[in-house]
Parts: sequence; C-alpha cells; structure tokens
Amino acid sequence: MHSFEVESVEKKGTDCVLNIDVLPDRAGDCLSHWGIAKELSVLLNKKMIVLAPKLKRNKLKVKDFLSVKVEDKDCLRYTSMVLTDVKIGPSPKWLQEKLIACGQNSINNVVDATNFIMLETGQPLHAFDYEKINGGIIVRKARKGEKMMTLSDKEYVLDENVLLISDSKRPLALAGIKGGKGCEITEDTKTIVLESANFNHKLISQTARRLNLRTDASIRFENNLDPNLTEIAIERVASLIQELSGAQIVSGVVDVYKTKLKPWNIKLNISNVNNLIGIDISKAEMVKILTSLGFVVSGSSNILNVLVPTSRQDVIIPENLIEEIGRVYGYDKVPAVLPCFSEPAKTNLDIYWQNKAKDIMKELGFSEAYNYSFIGEEEKTVFDLKAEEVVNPVSNYYKYLRPTIVPQMARIIKENSKFFKDVRVFELGKVFNSQKETMVLTGTVMGEDFSLVKGYLNILFDKLGVEKVSYSSSTNKMWHVKKTAEIKVGGHVIGHLGSLSSNLIEVLMIEDAIFFELDFDELQKHCSDKKDYEQISYHPPALRDISGVVSEELEIEEIVEAIENSSNELLKSVEVFDVYKGKGIASDKKSVSFHLIYQSEEKTLDSKTIDSMVNELLNKLKQTISWEERK
Amino acid sequence: MDFSELKNNAEKELEKIVDSKELKEFSDKYLSKKGEIRKFFSFVKDLALEEKKILGQEINEFATVLESKVLEMEKEMRKMEREKKEEGEKIDIAAPGKVIETGHLHPMTQVRREMEKIFESMGFSVVEGQEIEDEWHNFDALNIPEGHPARDALSLGKTFYLKNKNVLRTQTSSAQVRYMKKMKPPIRIVVPGRVYRYETTDASHEINFYQIEGLLIDENASVANLKAVLQRFLELFFKRKVEIRLRPSYFPFTEPSFEVDMRCTVCEGKGCSSCKKTGWVEILGTGMVHPNVIKNGGLDPKKYKGFAFGISIDRPTMMKHKINDIRLFHSGNLKFLKQF
Repeated sequence: MHSFEVESVEKKGTDCVLNIDVLPDRAGDCLSHWGIAKELSVLLNKKMIVLAPKLKRNKLKVKDFLSVKVEDKDCLRYTSMVLTDVKIGPSPKWLQEKLIACGQNSINNVVDATNFIMLETGQPLHAFDYEKINGGIIVRKARKGEKMMTLSDKEYVLDENVLLISDSKRPLALAGIKGGKGCEITEDTKTIVLESANFNHKLISQTARRLNLRTDASIRFENNLDPNLTEIAIERVASLIQELSGAQIVSGVVDVYKTKLKPWNIKLNISNVNNLIGIDISKAEMVKILTSLGFVVSGSSNILNVLVPTSRQDVIIPENLIEEIGRVYGYDKVPAVLPCFSEPAKTNLDIYWQNKAKDIMKELGFSEAYNYSFIGEEEKTVFDLKAEEVVNPVSNYYKYLRPTIVPQMARIIKENSKFFKDVRVFELGKVFNSQKETMVLTGTVMGEDFSLVKGYLNILFDKLGVEKVSYSSSTNKMWHVKKTAEIKVGGHVIGHLGSLSSNLIEVLMIEDAIFFELDFDELQKHCSDKKDYEQISYHPPALRDISGVVSEELEIEEIVEAIENSSNELLKSVEVFDVYKGKGIASDKKSVSFHLIYQSEEKTLDSKTIDSMVNELLNKLKQTISWEERK
Repeated sequence: MDFSELKNNAEKELEKIVDSKELKEFSDKYLSKKGEIRKFFSFVKDLALEEKKILGQEINEFATVLESKVLEMEKEMRKMEREKKEEGEKIDIAAPGKVIETGHLHPMTQVRREMEKIFESMGFSVVEGQEIEDEWHNFDALNIPEGHPARDALSLGKTFYLKNKNVLRTQTSSAQVRYMKKMKPPIRIVVPGRVYRYETTDASHEINFYQIEGLLIDENASVANLKAVLQRFLELFFKRKVEIRLRPSYFPFTEPSFEVDMRCTVCEGKGCSSCKKTGWVEILGTGMVHPNVIKNGGLDPKKYKGFAFGISIDRPTMMKHKINDIRLFHSGNLKFLKQF
C-alpha cells in the first residue's frame, strides 16, 4: 500500500518468493533486492545491511590487459575488470536454488554470479571470454547490415541505431540487451572480462522493442539506472566469482565515465505538500520520511532543500517528492473531502440528440449494436469503398477505417436471420472519410417493406423535430437503383433508404432487408425540441384526392410545397399516394396523385365549401407548376 | 287507431320477449324517433285541444312507464346473459404471457449514460473528443514524450497508425489538453468514448473499447478531493456503500498516481475468486494531473492543480451483467443484445 503490489507469495523450498509488481518509474532502483530491501527498511523502520565486497586483488594491472574505447555518447559509462585463473564449473547449491527461485536458469558459476548480482543490485552485468576478444573493447553504433549472433543462437541484422560492444573485428554484444555468441564463457574459459555499464535508456528501450528482444538487462536499462552503480556492482560480482571459482582479480578497473552524474537539488514548499495531498502533517515528519528514503534535507524555513541521490532519477520535480511523502505517510490516512461546488454541468447538445435518437429507435423496436471501427479487405472490395487504411492493422479483417456502417449491418442481417424472423438493428457511430470523422445513424430491417422502414424514419424525424424531409431517387451504386430513396432535409442530402444493389445482394447472399444510413451530424442541425400544441378538432375531416400531370423534373417535395402555399389553414395534410411515368404520359412528364385532408376546428365542412377550395387550388397549381388535371 | 289497442299490443309483446335482441327490436318499434308511439302523436295533433291534452298526457305516461320497464328488463337480461357466458369460462392465469417485441439499448450505452449522469450530478460536464488524434495530443501532451518507456510501450506495441502519422486514440485522455486550452478553470469534465488498442483479441482483450475520462482543474485540488469524488461515484454507480483504497501507481500524466481498489462486493472483502482472494478489486486509475500536462494545456501549474481519472466502461458492464467475453459487445448478435 506504500510502494508496490505483491502479486503473489509462493513457497519454494525453504524460501518464500514474493512476486512484486515494481512500478515503471521505480524500475531504476527497485528491480533489485537492494531496492526492495531499502523500501522495507523505511516502511518497517528497520536498518538495512548492505554486504560490502571483499576483494583480494593481485599485482597485475588491468591496463596491461584491456583497453576500452567508447566511441558513442549513448554509452554513459563503461566499467570493466579482468579476472584470471577462473575455473568454470557448476554453481553451488545455494546459488542455484536462489536463481531458480527467481526464475533464472543456472548455467555456470561465472554467468550465475553475474545474474545473481544483477538481481541483487539491479545493475546488469556481463562476462566475456578474454581470450576471444580481438584487441580491445570498442563501444560503437552498428553499421547498416552488420550481423550478430546472440547467445540464444539467433542472428540479428543491425543498423546504425543499434549500440554495440565490439572488438576490433566483430560485434561482441548488443549493448544493454544481450551478449553475443563470439566470446561467450565456455568450460575452457580461463580469463574473463566483466562488464558493468550504463547506456542511454531511451536508446535501449527502442532497440529492444524494435528487435523484439526485451531481456532482464534491457528492462533494467530502459528505466534510468544509476550510472554510479556500475562500480559497486562490478566489485560485488568480482568478489563473488573469486569466492566461487578461486579466480585472481587483476588490480584496478577500466572506467570510462565522461560526465559524472551528481545529486541534484529540489526546493520543496511544505504547504504545497499538505495542500496537494489534503492533509496536515508537520515539517519534522516530512523531513523524517525523506531522510529515511535517502534524500538529504536541509533548510530551516518553510521551503526545504532536498538533495536527491543519483539512484532516484525518477525524482525531478517537487510533485515527485510529494508522492514520496504521501505514500510513506499512508494514503489510507488521507480523508475523503468533496471539492466545493463550482457550477452545474452544462448540457452537451450532441449527446442530448444522440441519446434522443437512440431512445426513439428503441421505441420503434430496434436493438442497438456496436460494430468495430474497422472493416476488412473483403468488405472494401465487395462494397467498392474508398477507405482510410490503417498502417499496422491487427489483421486483414480490420484493415481499414469504416467509411459506412452498411457492410457491418449486412453481416448482422446475415448472421441473425438464421435465428430471428424479425431483425431490426441500428448503430449510431462514427465513420471515417479521409480521416474526417462523421457520426452516422445506420439501421436495417429484415424484409422487403420499404414503406414500413420509411414509416419508422418518419417517426424518427418527427420526434427529433426535423421538418422538410423529402425522398427522391438515388444513383448511388451501393444501393438498388429502383428501390432506394435519397433522403434530403432542407435541400441537403443526408442519407439513403432502401435495398442494397442487386449485385451486392447476390454476392453477399443475404436475406431481403431494407437499410438506411443518415449523416447524423447534418441531421442534428435540423433537430428541434419545439413542438406547439395543435388544436384538436371535434369536426370530421374531409378527404379529397387530386391527380395531375407535371414536369418530370419537379420533385415531390416541391409539389407539396406548391399545394401548401396555394391553400388555406383548413388543409391539414398532403400525402402522395401514386407517382406514375410511362404509357399515356408524355416522356418528360409524370403523373402524381395526392390525398388532401381538410378539417375545420369550428364546424363540419360541407361539400360545397370543400369543392370550391379544391377548385381554387387546382387553378392556382395550373399557373404555378403547370399542373394538368387528370380525371 | 285506438290508443288502448296500441297499449295492449305493446304490453303483450313485451311479455313475450326473452333476450336482449328482441328487446332492442321492441324498443325500436315503439320507443324510437320513428316508433309507434311517436307516430301516434302525429295523429293526436289533429284532435281538439281538450282531447289532445288528455290523450297526450296518457301517451306520455305510457311511454315513460314503457321506457322504464324496458330499461329494467335490459339490465336483467344483460346480467343473465353475462352469467350464462361466464359459465365454464376461467382464465388460465398460469399460461405464459404473449411475447412482445421491444427495442433494446446496448448494455454499454446504458452503463455509459448512468456514469455520465452521476458525474453530471457532481458538476462534471460531458464532452467528447475526436477518435483520430495527432501524436502530440495522444502522447506528448500527456507527458509521454518520444523515448519515454511508456511511449515506447504504447506507440510501438499498442497504437494504430494512419498514413500521415496520426493515430487512433489509445485513451480518451487525449482530449484533456484540448479542453484545458478551450475552457477556463475551474474545469470539471468527463470524456466518454471509444478508444483503440492494438491487441490480440480474446475474452478479455479488444481492439475497440470504451472509457470515461475525468478531469478537474482548480486552484485547490487535492488527493482528498479525488478520493471523495471517486468514492461517491462508485457508491452511486453500485448503489451501495463502498470502501476504497488508493494504491501508489504510475502514469506519466499524473503525479502522484494511484490505482483505486474497491472492497470486493461479491465476498464483502473476505476473499473469493472474483477478487483473486485479496478482498479488493482494482477498479480504475487516477492521480493528480502532472504539472507538465497542465502546462501543455496553457495553464500555470503553480496556480492550478487538478486530478484526472480513467474508468473503463466495458469492465463495469461485464461485472454488472456477469458477461464473460468482451467480444460479445461487438458481435451484433441479437441473442446477446436482446437481453438488455
């Protein structure tokens, strides 16, 4: 509750293995037994004992054995030592057991020692066979196309972004990631070179991911390891190898460390600590917590000077220190205090209309579906769509961003028609056209009843307060040429309603179904909550039908408008019930028929009054839209 | 015609009536507008005044008596007929009701609305962000710069790219900075919506899923505030008292960061399979907005503080309805959709 989550506790032999989920920002100091021990010592208020290395060095000088040349600034530090008279052999039982408990394989005493000290200190270590190094060690970037075989017998083709440990002839290791086959430790190895280095964490992170080779070493390097750790760690491992194999330690270290990382200062205002966490703890308590974590605190005023140890590269800003104080103090002790009331939430009109449309569809008996934002190669080809391609799709089925939801609705029809006689489904979701996002309302109804689905849409439009909706024929190739309407609102095309093209129906092999897709962003502009009460009439309505011939180009919507403009308020409804082109009608004309409903709130209309209104209307239509009456 | 004859006929006929159909015929014959009695009135019209008065009264009286008799008989007959009809007629109340087809909203729409409503009640306005984002808003603005291990983890493994290096947002947080720039503090918003992750799909992983992101920016904002808002949200959402705890966590865009655990509602904290025997269920990620993010939003991090949180919509929906496969949400399967 103060540092990390213990994911599991497992008994292995006489030991208990704690599986601890170290947070990424603390990987720099806590992916190690030392780091966890330090945390525990603070939280349990106990003293931490660190084993000091006990080295017996011989009189030989490391300079006479090894030269290290760091040619690239992405290598921050390179520390190495040489050990002679090494006897390679199996590790003692205690070491094998400890490594196995930590999920490592035991290989031989030298390799095991480097792994063991890495787990202890967090510093990745590597041992090379000294005899196999040609000339000295060079740290450099790879050449494009350069190849290297790793310890696990896998060959990698490299480029100039990869940092290498090499000798004068060939690469020896992928820096910070994995050792190479060239100078690995074998049974015959007598003299070894130990490497304890530090690299640019960004470079290691990216290289490991690009090569898809994340190792215990790279995971540690990815997270800002302390460059001052190399020396302590190399001495620990040298001392352990000496203990395990009787090796001689050559005096001195080769240490290339151009820019030494020094502790840095952060100014911390103690009232900011209390304000940000919402607690009230004393300065003395803050100082105590920080000091126990290894920070050096000075300053007598309200502002503390905090010196950060280099092992804590995650601590850069005051908020990082506030977190340290908060977690050690204990978040369970922080009270829950609601923030003061500021102002009421604002209504989001987009969401308001989306919700309203969804509710209307639900009232109409539709079920709401969610489809993926992606469509596959097959849908794109079959529906002949232009679609934005995803650079790295998960598969061919999700290769493009959908420019329409209709293909997915067709799939829904196909799959559900096996089990349901009545399929009514909709989705209100985003589609993508050359990276522009549009909200669409798409639906499908199983069957061939165009007028039923048109009826559903009429209710949708009416309840959304959308007026001036008109339907005209469509030429869009995805839709059936004779069974599809283009829907317009206020003159703008906002979508389609109808069947899929005959070609698509054949290819898809789906049941008969009516589809619609509406541009909801456009539709929403016409939505309105305004609805005035209409006087209820207690007098009977009177129905009259009119039929006439007009120019073929005249839209139904325009005729309706002309009828409405030429009538008085007694005309309550105009409804087209027949449109006819062909035999008996001139080729540039069409015949249209309408139901007209007249009704008065005050009296029952007698037929004389109605007839004269209709006659007046027909006369006007003759003048305005060249209406020729058909008897 | 003689009135007494009419009277006799009517009375005789009335006695013979056995059902309501005959009664209706009788009533039409004598008592309707064009009935016998009315007809008799037209005959009376031509009589002398004195005679007219006496006979008229007699007819009226007779009509009233007849009407009330008919009414009484009608009641009786209806009663008889209903009783006869109900004989042997009993509703089988155990038989199943008829299947009525209704519409259904997707379970995640329902959960999302519920979450929005709760946050609105606490003054958080609901806003939406775009699903196609530039790299800056998706990563850099959230303090996940190039080279950051979190950036690599997201961008190299989990992010979908489009041709001009735009990305499909990996979290709804990408809207944070856009709204900070647009609005003046105090800011309280939640951003629900669809997000994208490159995943191998299985019962608990999807390439499309849903989040609701919250952000509060004000001159005073604290961990104590965050704790209260989230606790209140969870109590309103689960409609019960809940206990939460904050566990230190790490997100690049918040500092300090927390994982919020809720006392397991299945076992009340005793430990069961749904909480992996820990008594706690991890429910969401949160933290105090990182000063760099506030700066990226065009605000002064010295003056303004804030907290942010990200809540999955999929997981609580799965928890609520015990749905065991996340892929059902995008299956378009009516056997699934019609259950909600």
